[in-house]
Amino acid sequence: MIKQDHITITINGKRYKFSVGDGYGEVPPNETLADTLRNRLGLTGTKISCNEGACGCCTVIVDGKDAVASCMALTVEFDGREVLTVEGLEDPVKGLDPIQQAFIDEYAFQCGYCTPGIIMVAKALFINNEHPTPEQIQEALSGNYCRCISQYTVLRALNKLAGNEDAELANIVRANDEIENPIPVRQVLHLSPYANGSSSSHSID
Amino acid sequence: MSEKNYGEKKFEYNYRDIVQPNYRHIGKYMPRKEAKDIVTGKATFLDDYSVPDMIYGKIKRSPWPHADIVSIDTSKAEALEGVRAVITHKNMPQKWGLGLPVQRLLLEPRVYHVGDLVALVAADTPEIAEEACELIEVEYHQLQPVYSADEALAEGAPQLYERFPGNHVDNGIKYFQPDGPWWQIIRGDCEQGFKEAKYIAEDKIEFNQMPVPGAPETPSVIARFDGIQPDCVHKDGVPNFTIWASSQSAHIMKLMAEGRIPNSNVNIKTFNVGGSYGNKQSMMTAALSASMLAMATKKPVKLVLTKEEQLMAYEVRLGSTMYAKVGMDEDGIVTTVEGKWLVDTGAVGDSVQGQVGVGLGEAQLVLAKCKNWYMDSEIAVTNRQQAGIVRGYGGQELNSCLERLLCAPMKAGNFNPLEVFKKNYISPGDCFTWRDGRNWKSRSSFFFPEAMQKAADLFGWDKKWVGWNKPYWVSEDGRKARGVGMGVIGNADISEDNTEAIVRIIPDLVGKRASRVVIETDITESGMGTRSNACKIAAEVLNVPVERVIITEPGSQYNPSNYGLCGSRGVITTGKAIANAAMEAKKKILERGAIYFKRNVDQLDTKDFMVYVRDNPEMQVPMFKIWDKEMSVVGYGKHLEMFDVPSCVSLFVDVEVDLETGHTEILDLATGTDIGQIIDAKACEMQLEGGWGSACIDTATFEENVLDKQTGRIMTSNMIDYKWRTFNEFKPFNAYVMESQIDSFMFKALGVGEVSGAAGASATLMAISNAIGADVKEYPATPAVVLKAMDKI
Ligand code: FES
Ligand code: FES
Repeated sequence: MIKQDHITITINGKRYKFSVGDGYGEVPPNETLADTLRNRLGLTGTKISCNEGACGCCTVIVDGKDAVASCMALTVEFDGREVLTVEGLEDPVKGLDPIQQAFIDEYAFQCGYCTPGIIMVAKALFINNEHPTPEQIQEALSGNYCRCISQYTVLRALNKLAGNEDAELANIVRANDEIENPIPVRQVLHLSPYANGSSSSHSID
Repeated sequence: MSEKNYGEKKFEYNYRDIVQPNYRHIGKYMPRKEAKDIVTGKATFLDDYSVPDMIYGKIKRSPWPHADIVSIDTSKAEALEGVRAVITHKNMPQKWGLGLPVQRLLLEPRVYHVGDLVALVAADTPEIAEEACELIEVEYHQLQPVYSADEALAEGAPQLYERFPGNHVDNGIKYFQPDGPWWQIIRGDCEQGFKEAKYIAEDKIEFNQMPVPGAPETPSVIARFDGIQPDCVHKDGVPNFTIWASSQSAHIMKLMAEGRIPNSNVNIKTFNVGGSYGNKQSMMTAALSASMLAMATKKPVKLVLTKEEQLMAYEVRLGSTMYAKVGMDEDGIVTTVEGKWLVDTGAVGDSVQGQVGVGLGEAQLVLAKCKNWYMDSEIAVTNRQQAGIVRGYGGQELNSCLERLLCAPMKAGNFNPLEVFKKNYISPGDCFTWRDGRNWKSRSSFFFPEAMQKAADLFGWDKKWVGWNKPYWVSEDGRKARGVGMGVIGNADISEDNTEAIVRIIPDLVGKRASRVVIETDITESGMGTRSNACKIAAEVLNVPVERVIITEPGSQYNPSNYGLCGSRGVITTGKAIANAAMEAKKKILERGAIYFKRNVDQLDTKDFMVYVRDNPEMQVPMFKIWDKEMSVVGYGKHLEMFDVPSCVSLFVDVEVDLETGHTEILDLATGTDIGQIIDAKACEMQLEGGWGSACIDTATFEENVLDKQTGRIMTSNMIDYKWRTFNEFKPFNAYVMESQIDSFMFKALGVGEVSGAAGASATLMAISNAIGADVKEYPATPAVVLKAMDKI
């Protein structure tokens, strides 16, 4: 690393010049990119979970192609480079990135804490390969932790984007769809006798 | 089709005969209100938030499992520039307790587990606070630790707290059991039950790996001391705090915090929660630590646990050891359960009694036809990290032992487990004692056995079930074998705890736009879509677009009470309160409409903020034309606790075991449930798929917290050593979902998220045993365990 007193990084299309050092407001050489994004620039869409490169929550895209865990990268190493975060994906004119839209359409998240990282990894994958196979998608995301289990809907969203229409890991069968000649649906709402919770002698009214 | 005998009469229930309602919103997928914020990175979580003049807290933690603090020197830490406060057991501003019942203080001259609190530091930056922690010099005198309930309850075991002689935690808590403690199922005559049994088995089974639920967002809080305010009861006034927290329930946190900080008044605010799985509720150690620092420094203090702290010192699953004997008759009905359940709550017992109650309750749902019980329980404190609430809430921990034991009589009688579970599971009219210690009679679904069968059909059970300890497939080289297993679990907590809501239809002041509906209730979003579903429910009752319905920010201070997210109750109880509130508002406006149209209320209805005459829809009037100028129409609704609509989830697992290495791979999974009515199609799907996560299914094979007994330390306190299932390891998942319109509330739904994966661990052990042809009874069934079962090592 070359020792210098300032660095310039383009983040989501905007150039930022940072002074490097230990003084107030300066970026210390040991500051991670994740901290710079979150604490200095208010780009809190990049999430920190493990802070040790194991979960993928903090992923950003560098120089338009590489997915990088920003919790493991030092800000000073990004002098002259371009960083794209989840906040920079939406086009102000064209709207959401197709991946973002697909995530909404397929409900590809639950709590959403891991989602920005997953979206950025997926974005990097699609930048490098427009039609990844289902296996390539799963492999690419193998470093992303999601404990709520949005994996099935994430894969569904990305496979649709990639044109892998048949790739489906989850099969949810609704009994109502299987009924032949179903009874016509009823028109009006009926209030449940239990709607007030007062029917039981055990309830603490 | 399912059949039921009621005295002499025999009824047949055909699923097709259930009239399915035609809803405008309910049952369909609708993107969550915060969907766009989540995918664009704008959604706010606790650590994305700051308050003015905020400083940072850090915790100095114990390296030893059980030790006295002989000396502690904080002078160097205090001298560090930027340090605002250093608090130890010696200079705590007030004595705040921990545990339920309170068993210790937040900081003590003794530490009880690795990662226990030694000192609290507040400083201008997190880095300074951390450095200060390192500068605190502590001398410890180590004490004998104890690491399991078995050991802790034995005579002569090292003692933790004076409050718990023999390390024995109080069996019951008034909060959970209003009529007095309840911790045993005692019913019928076990001796007689064993006489009626044809197959009897007795064993000790442990589910003791205390795995971590592992929310991606660590437990974190910002606490602000708002000063002492005058009070009518306490003449010195009462301390006020505001706590912003990554908790899934402001209500529970308030309840616990006010019980710990004497005479306090605490205002809790919550955000989007980055995963919780029941685990981020009261978060008492973090909340009290930050609050104490805030009180000492008079500044807001942010305390964000690191991942390592979360894995090493935050709440994990209960340890569970079951000694039991069960009897089964010639038809596969369980006739007797006799035994004892030992529960390890780690170094702090906090709401464990509720979990034990639910665990015992769920055992009765699975074995509902059993008339003879003597199932005792005992809770112990040990020198392991604190166990707390985790999805499954005691049920998964006991079920993983009980269903494993049930395999023995099923095997002896050569029963197909599918038939046994179908026969024994609770049907309407069967009784059980729930965690409140009261007796309840199920009025839930008749279709649980049918849901089990349909899921089994999807899974291909009939082809793959070839008998006990028999693989259904072996590779040509004889190296790999496949087997199947299943488990069933249910929960009756979906209607637990009281909750209220206000629904206001607010006018459109300038008269040109649509009006809005505002829901006031305290409900957080931790990923299940509860807030959006709440809006959907109000929209359905009032028949307005969901986009026109908004819900107040979660928080305990300005909202009507809502117990929050737990026990799969979120949508059901919140939904019920909201539906009732919306009905009341609707009734008021219809009464006005009745005067306007000179019709009866029953002849009118509402749609898109209009009141119209049902048989002549042309006769319509905007709501606010007939209402008081610029006033809103307000309705109030509530839900009162009940426990009589248990849920049911069955899980089928197909595994392949490498007979040489002992490595197990799950090949696919199927699940079946009757959910009453789907509120949101995709949210329901993810509740079911969620069973893979939060220390459920994978606790059978590789998920565990590895304890080094020499040092008392967890060797898996980072995300590299703690094993979790990665994206490329997800396997085909099938689910069969019935909607039999269970009468839980207006929209007839049941919650299943609490237990969607809870039967997975025992099902997996059954599958492994069948694949390898030998009984595996140890969690997790690592390669070593599997090879040992096969007598290969
Ligand atoms: S936070 Fe960076 S990889 Fe986990
Ligand atoms: S959506 Fe919660 S961890 Fe992935």
